[in-house]
Amino acid sequence: MAQNDSILKINNLSVAYGHVQALNDISLDVKRGEIVVLVGANGAGKTSIMETVLGANVPVSGDIEFKGMHIGGVPVDKNVRNGMFLVPEGRGVFSSMTVMDNLLLGAHHNLKNSTEKLELVFESFPVLGERRTQVAGTLSGGERQMLAIARALMSSPEMIMVDEPSIGLAPIIVNDIFEILVNLNKEGYSILLSEQNVYKALKIAHRGYVLETGKITKSGTAEELLNDEAVREAYLGA
Amino acid sequence: MEILIAQIFNGLSIGSIYVLLVTGFNLLLLVAMIIHFSFPVVVVFSMYISWVVMTLTGSVTLGVVGGIASAIIVNMITAPMFQHIMKDRGSVDINATMVISMGMGMVITDILSHTFNQGFPIAFPDALTGNDQGALISVGLVSISRGQVLTLVIGVLFVAFLFWLLYKTRAGRAFRAIAEDPNGAKLVGIPLLKTGFQSYALTGILGGVTAVLMAVLLGSASAGLGDQLGHKVLAVSIIAGLGNLTGGLIIGLLLGILEAIIQGYLAGSWSNAIAFIVMLVVILAKPKGVFGSKL
Amino acid sequence: MSLTLFYYLAITAIYILMSWSIYIPYRVGQLHFMTVANMAVSAYFAALMAINFAWPFWLVLIAGTLLGALIGFLVSNAIGDAPCFAVVIVGFTFIYLTKTIIENVEAFGGPLGIFSIPKVLSASADNRTLLLIVAYALVLITGFLITRFDHSRLGRAASAIFIDRDLAVSFGVDVKKMGMFLQTWASAVGGMAGVMYSFIMRSVSPNHFTFHLIGICMTMLFVGGYTTMWGALLAAPILWGFPLILPEALQSWNIVIYGVLLIVVLVIKPEGIITRPMVKKIESLLSGKRKKV
Ligand SMILES: Nc1ncnc2c1ncn2[C@@H]1O[C@H](COP(=O)(O)OP(=O)(O)OP(=O)(O)O)[C@@H](O)[C@H]1O
Ligand SMILES: [Mg+2]
Repeated sequence: MAQNDSILKINNLSVAYGHVQALNDISLDVKRGEIVVLVGANGAGKTSIMETVLGANVPVSGDIEFKGMHIGGVPVDKNVRNGMFLVPEGRGVFSSMTVMDNLLLGAHHNLKNSTEKLELVFESFPVLGERRTQVAGTLSGGERQMLAIARALMSSPEMIMVDEPSIGLAPIIVNDIFEILVNLNKEGYSILLSEQNVYKALKIAHRGYVLETGKITKSGTAEELLNDEAVREAYLGA
Repeated sequence: MEILIAQIFNGLSIGSIYVLLVTGFNLLLLVAMIIHFSFPVVVVFSMYISWVVMTLTGSVTLGVVGGIASAIIVNMITAPMFQHIMKDRGSVDINATMVISMGMGMVITDILSHTFNQGFPIAFPDALTGNDQGALISVGLVSISRGQVLTLVIGVLFVAFLFWLLYKTRAGRAFRAIAEDPNGAKLVGIPLLKTGFQSYALTGILGGVTAVLMAVLLGSASAGLGDQLGHKVLAVSIIAGLGNLTGGLIIGLLLGILEAIIQGYLAGSWSNAIAFIVMLVVILAKPKGVFGSKL
Repeated sequence: MSLTLFYYLAITAIYILMSWSIYIPYRVGQLHFMTVANMAVSAYFAALMAINFAWPFWLVLIAGTLLGALIGFLVSNAIGDAPCFAVVIVGFTFIYLTKTIIENVEAFGGPLGIFSIPKVLSASADNRTLLLIVAYALVLITGFLITRFDHSRLGRAASAIFIDRDLAVSFGVDVKKMGMFLQTWASAVGGMAGVMYSFIMRSVSPNHFTFHLIGICMTMLFVGGYTTMWGALLAAPILWGFPLILPEALQSWNIVIYGVLLIVVLVIKPEGIITRPMVKKIESLLSGKRKKV
């Protein structure tokens, strides 16, 4: 039963960029309704996992299952249609385009009830509603991160991957963003999160994986990881 | 004064041709990420095809359809060639696309100068140009032809359509996203190759319409026309700032007006040369463009 | 020596020089077609000086080369670090302007050009031999200088600019100075080729310096391989030679043939036939042999 509950399941995944082996035999899963966090230092391979799941990278070997379908080598637009969306590292919003355009880009593959979706988004993110005609380049960092998350919602995803949302944001704003993620999770979205802000991330997550130079070195519930000696020493400075 | 007005009107109609060509060039640059230097050569090729169809069938309508179709076809069959070398965008130097495009221009221009009409310039029938019906409006020294009005009106409408498409539609949004950040566009699920192809198709239609308008306005064409337009279009888009659509609109119209005014006072090849000198001075002073590059 | 052979060899030398004149600034990623305008200007300069003022060949050769360098230097002040397309359009514009001026000014002979440029030596055969020797000496000297450049610190800096301009700048490479140097050098080579062309053909006309010439040189450079100087050296004699042995009916299609070849090579093998690793391998083979002996 628990097995069937996985929305995302990665088995023995390896990815390389030319001669650089970025991921080595990675296995992990995200169950429906979970927040799963990937923690690891720079270059550990967090982004590589997410981009490979999304279909932007072609794996060398291994298997990726999304909602029970094998999606290794499936292009990004198909995966987006299937219900996943990536909030990229560094937000990835289009700064020369308006807030509205950015949101509609999220709904690129499903414009049907975009008006209702826009309304919902503006309800949850009133700031974006006020700024809808403003170009995204003029937003603050936190607002941009909200825009990137809201854009993901526009695609009506079942799973959202959020890559290092806290990067470059003030601690208060980080709390806001994490609160948004928790609320989304409560609404039923499954979330795969990557973070270097390990403590805060583990606080909101159900489970986590520790990544070191392309390998998973540890995994467990958020609680277990928070109490793990090695994790505390390496990532929590205690 | 009257002459000046006539020249300005004349300049606007030529200018709208430049605007169409520059816009096509910029779209390919922004979305397909190629420097299609010979895009105007493809347009002139379509003029020739249109002429051939008109001559063979005697039907202006078929000629117009043939011209537009040929521009789309040429654009679509050359697309895979450009796409192939742009596969690894990161490692491929965009200059390579310019060199390929120049090669394409060499081939097309030489074929035009060898085969069609034994290499002589071609003339379009009055049924298309409307030259036999005299001026549409003529007040004193000012006379405005049907061709000029038609070019200006359709040119303006088409550019307006393009801007609408770019800024108000789903496809346009995807075009602009790719133009700003191809990698980011890919991550939100916009298929780069497919959207690239759409931009080739769109610029094909644009090129075809431009070819017909040029046939109406100029009434004739020669094999060398494409090269000359190619230089002007590249110059205009550099002056405006590569990829800057609004800048291209302004500079394209200005070039048309500048040329028309010079032509009012100077004959023949000198007027062209002066237009080039002006452009040269601007480029030497501002190699990165007046309005800033959008690349 | 037959006249055909003379012209083949002499024009091949001109094409090698002209292709190199495009290779030199392309080391930093600039397609500096202005060298074709330099060639035209210096060719006309040579014709006028030799006919009207009876300047001797050597003086004309030096002056024509310097004239090319001077024009190249002046323009390079504006476009030394300009992006490739701006450099391209400046080159085109100069060619166009040069052509318009020589076509429309009486003193330059109009569209027909200038004829009967004097021979260097009065005996035709001697004259031709001398011109060939000089032409290939110039190829040798230019080739030698390019090799020296490519193997120097400057050459490596140029390669760095080609690969990643911003990175090169951050390492302290002066992109503008490098561009100015290469453009000036290329223009000098263009001027030199122009003077030689004048004396070899003994006539100049605006039709000789057109976009066709750019197309041909570009084909030689990119088909031969733009990453080393050897590409153009190998491609020029072959590409210039093979249309000459084609049947008459096909000969006039040479531009189409060049264009198709250019496209095919760029699509299939973008770096051209001769590549840098290939040259390195041959160099090491040669030096290896030398060591064994
Ligand atoms: N496009 C690429 N080409 C070559 N190597 C790459 C590429 N992208 C990532 N890598 C390499 O793959 C490894 C994993 O990178 P990745 O971006 O997945 O790490 P990350 O955990 O997201 O790091 P960060 O916290 O800095 O974002 C690194 O060694 C990186 O250098
Ligand atoms: Mg990352």
